[in-house]
Amino acid sequence: MTPEGSILSGEGLHKHYGRTPALDGADFSIHPGEVVAVLGPSGSGKSTLLHCLAGIVRPDSGSVRYDGRELTTLPDAERSALRRRDFGFVFQFGQLVPELTCLENVALPLRLNGAKRKAAEATAREWLARLEVDDVHGKRPGEISGGQGQRVAVARALAGHPRVLFADEPTGALDSLNGERVMTLLADAARDTHAAVVLVTHESRVAAYSDREVTVRDGRVKEPLAGL
Amino acid sequence: MTATDRRPRDRTDRPAPAPRTGLGARLGDLAMGVRFAVTGGREGWARTLLTALGVGLGVTLLLAAASVPHLLQSREDRGRARTPADAAQTVHRADNTLLTATADTVFRGDTVHGTLLHPDGARPPAPPGVRDVPGPGEMVVSPALRELLASPQGKLLRDRLDDRITGTIGDAGLVGPGELTYYAGSDTLTTEAGAHRVASFGARSEAEPLDPVLFVLLLVACVVLLTPVALFIATAVRFGGERRDRRLAALRLIGADARTTRWIAAGEALFGAVCGLVAGAGLFLLGRQFIGAVTVWEVNAFPADLTPVPALAALIAVAVPLAAVAVTLFALRGVTIEPLGVVRNAVTRRRRMWWRLPLPVAGLGILLLAGEFQQQDEAAPPFMIASGTVLVLLGIALLLPWAVEASAARLRGGPVPWQLATRRLQLSSGGAARAVSGITVAVAGAIALQMVFAAIQGDFMKITGQDGRRAQLNLSLPTADVSTTRQMISDFRKTEGVRAIIAGIEADAARPGPRRTGEPFVPRTQFTVGDCPSLREMARIGSCRDGDVFVVHDSTGMVDDAYIGQTARPGKQVIFNLDSRTDEPDGPPRLWTVPKTARTVDSRKDPAGETRFGIFATPAAVDTGLLAAPVARAMVRTDPRVPDAAEYVRNTAARIDPLMSVDTLQNLQRDKNYASVRTGLLIASAATMALIAASMLVSMVEQLRERRRLLSVLVAFGTRRATLGWSVLWQTALPVGLGLALAVAGGSGLGVALLRLVGKSDPDWSVLWPPVATGAGLVLLVTLVSLPPLWRMMRPDGLRTE
Repeated sequence: MTPEGSILSGEGLHKHYGRTPALDGADFSIHPGEVVAVLGPSGSGKSTLLHCLAGIVRPDSGSVRYDGRELTTLPDAERSALRRRDFGFVFQFGQLVPELTCLENVALPLRLNGAKRKAAEATAREWLARLEVDDVHGKRPGEISGGQGQRVAVARALAGHPRVLFADEPTGALDSLNGERVMTLLADAARDTHAAVVLVTHESRVAAYSDREVTVRDGRVKEPLAGL
Repeated sequence: MTATDRRPRDRTDRPAPAPRTGLGARLGDLAMGVRFAVTGGREGWARTLLTALGVGLGVTLLLAAASVPHLLQSREDRGRARTPADAAQTVHRADNTLLTATADTVFRGDTVHGTLLHPDGARPPAPPGVRDVPGPGEMVVSPALRELLASPQGKLLRDRLDDRITGTIGDAGLVGPGELTYYAGSDTLTTEAGAHRVASFGARSEAEPLDPVLFVLLLVACVVLLTPVALFIATAVRFGGERRDRRLAALRLIGADARTTRWIAAGEALFGAVCGLVAGAGLFLLGRQFIGAVTVWEVNAFPADLTPVPALAALIAVAVPLAAVAVTLFALRGVTIEPLGVVRNAVTRRRRMWWRLPLPVAGLGILLLAGEFQQQDEAAPPFMIASGTVLVLLGIALLLPWAVEASAARLRGGPVPWQLATRRLQLSSGGAARAVSGITVAVAGAIALQMVFAAIQGDFMKITGQDGRRAQLNLSLPTADVSTTRQMISDFRKTEGVRAIIAGIEADAARPGPRRTGEPFVPRTQFTVGDCPSLREMARIGSCRDGDVFVVHDSTGMVDDAYIGQTARPGKQVIFNLDSRTDEPDGPPRLWTVPKTARTVDSRKDPAGETRFGIFATPAAVDTGLLAAPVARAMVRTDPRVPDAAEYVRNTAARIDPLMSVDTLQNLQRDKNYASVRTGLLIASAATMALIAASMLVSMVEQLRERRRLLSVLVAFGTRRATLGWSVLWQTALPVGLGLALAVAGGSGLGVALLRLVGKSDPDWSVLWPPVATGAGLVLLVTLVSLPPLWRMMRPDGLRTE
């Protein structure tokens, strides 16, 4: 059953990598504009849950519904198109294309969606300014700091006005000061654009930016008990 | 004092170990690098495997090239060993002699080497690989011929070689395992019929010296074919460099200095190179087992023939690991491995042209200084030619990274795949340039060689004057009486697939009577008897009926026409049996009167390219019994709708006389050595091109592997496969395009210099296109083949970090 009013939901998700179970009947849902932190220890299945929800991997069984559409049965091309149009992504590291400048990196999803280069770069420049990294627009990822790189990645994820933003350990490689600044900017920008955010983290400090927390343990999602 | 009390003081008192220096330290670093490669887990082994695969492919080709001298020598030795000894000298008949005659034939384009043997006594010498000389009606055959004769495809040949097979020729008697060879016993051979008496086999003839121009071509071909291999090996030892550098940064963190990390990296490359050496040797040994099954342009060899020259093999064994170490140290000179990471990306050191350009210029200069030689006896300066060519080709390979970088820096805008590709090249063009340097050098070399080939082929092609449209086969009919000859011609005429026979029975005709004052000898001319269609192929006779006679004058001016006129006089007699030494008839005079009605006509070249003249008579006009020592000539026009017509004709010829040769009429004949060099070059080019394709593919896969995570991220946010596919194509095509442009420029320059060397000055520019097209095709092929791994690496697995 799809939770009432949710934009994205997963139900009874199972996923194995070889013999190792990553998800074992996980359920999840998120509403538009909501920021949900997915917590859990290393290897608990957090990232796999994110990948299944984003249509990056197909679960072995279970259902993923986005905006009323079943994602698990969509062909690869349609899932790719959906990710281009409606989703945004921030990962822990290695996500910026090293040969493109920061401006071109941010403009890339827009261009993949068919935007003209100049228009895409104008939007990208706005987002770089919003994320306070407009001064690095002409630099390549190898020439900027980790914190700047993550802000560029957040700008890229939000530049296409996604309806759902998937952030997988977005501050995992940053020091606490940079991490908090990135999270503040990410959460504010997401709320401004009314984007739902699936925030995978193992840090409660980061999870504090969310509206709701769920915990993944042994491939299952557990909601905290009310009042606790 | 307890031991515990002592410990801190001991540690303080102990002098700090002096940092290791010198050769020992470097060897230690190398050994550590080897250990890292072995114990580096899946990542380390994947890198080693790729390097080993790349180096292994190169080493296989190098070992194959190092085996060529032994291969050629072995084939030559076996060929000589079975050639009858003393064939030119007179050998007296004895118990241990035999008569031999060559009875080669052709079957569907393949030569079948045949020898007839007729023992003089009880102890005839056996050819190599033959245990017992076959008796009449028996033959021993090579394994390949035995197989062919036993197969349905060989049925036609079986009709020709119908002797009983009594044995198989051993390897010692064969030039190659695929050779079609037989020895057949005979009891009719005579020296008069062209057989040679021999007492043993094994010719001592010297090999024909190679034309200096062909020598230059061979030398340049070796350089052209092996330079890409060397470049590829240098590229292969750098596979996975970026990941390795990141690991080395961790070593810096725990105290290794920059030099140590470089030598450790060299150690890793050394291990990969040694693995590649072993893999290459293994591939070579494995591959040569199947060499016998491969026949390219009628050339094949036994596995044992493919044995590298020991000195060259040792050179490869030493040079490849050393090159791996040297290339790694050289490559790392521009990389700063710091404890917190590799700062290569942050430092943009622009490539300079000034030190790259002098190399090809110097190469061209050396070639131009080498001078010009055209004479057979003039020696080509091998060192200058080889070093000049190497410098030009290496110069092109060195210019390529600069050209790619300089050109990529100017590229702006474009769609996403183009932008991804150009930005990638702008950030780091070295890998892409290295990947295509092999093809650039190969194409440049191929252009230069093709230019030389195109320019000199006229010198090595003989226009035979034969006309393969008017007749396709030329028969050397054995000498026989006229009625037997007529029977032979009739047999050919009845053969399947024969449309017409152009035949003539020829004899001499002289003017009767004594020599006249001032005449050095009695005038004489040719006398040819043939039917009207045959005579029409030899002279412009116009209308013709049986009984007609023609006086044919030589229209080429090659023959002193006066003798024809003085002999062939309408209404006057000629004599057929006038002995030229005594000017007397050999027996009762055989006289014949040239009819008054004989028409005078001009000759025309027959389909075999020869000019006949004198008196032409149709059969009803002359009693051929009068002719003295008549010789028959025949050419066959076959029916193109019967594909095996030539084989039927050869079968008929073999039935009449196994020694009768049936030759194909062809307009052009290539010099044997020239053909060999060109054939060898084609074989080697195919091998090099295959290696280049493999190397580009391995390089491409390696590049993709390095970017696996990035590809997964790009897929995560919805990048289309086509977008990445096109970006891969552009990423390869741009450097290749630049490489090909450089190859055209450099190859043309090299070609012009080489042309000057062989005394030619008129380049044929049309030869540029085939190598360029091959290069471009190769890029497309490599891109297509690299798409499946690209799709695989675009799977989301790359996003997993746990």
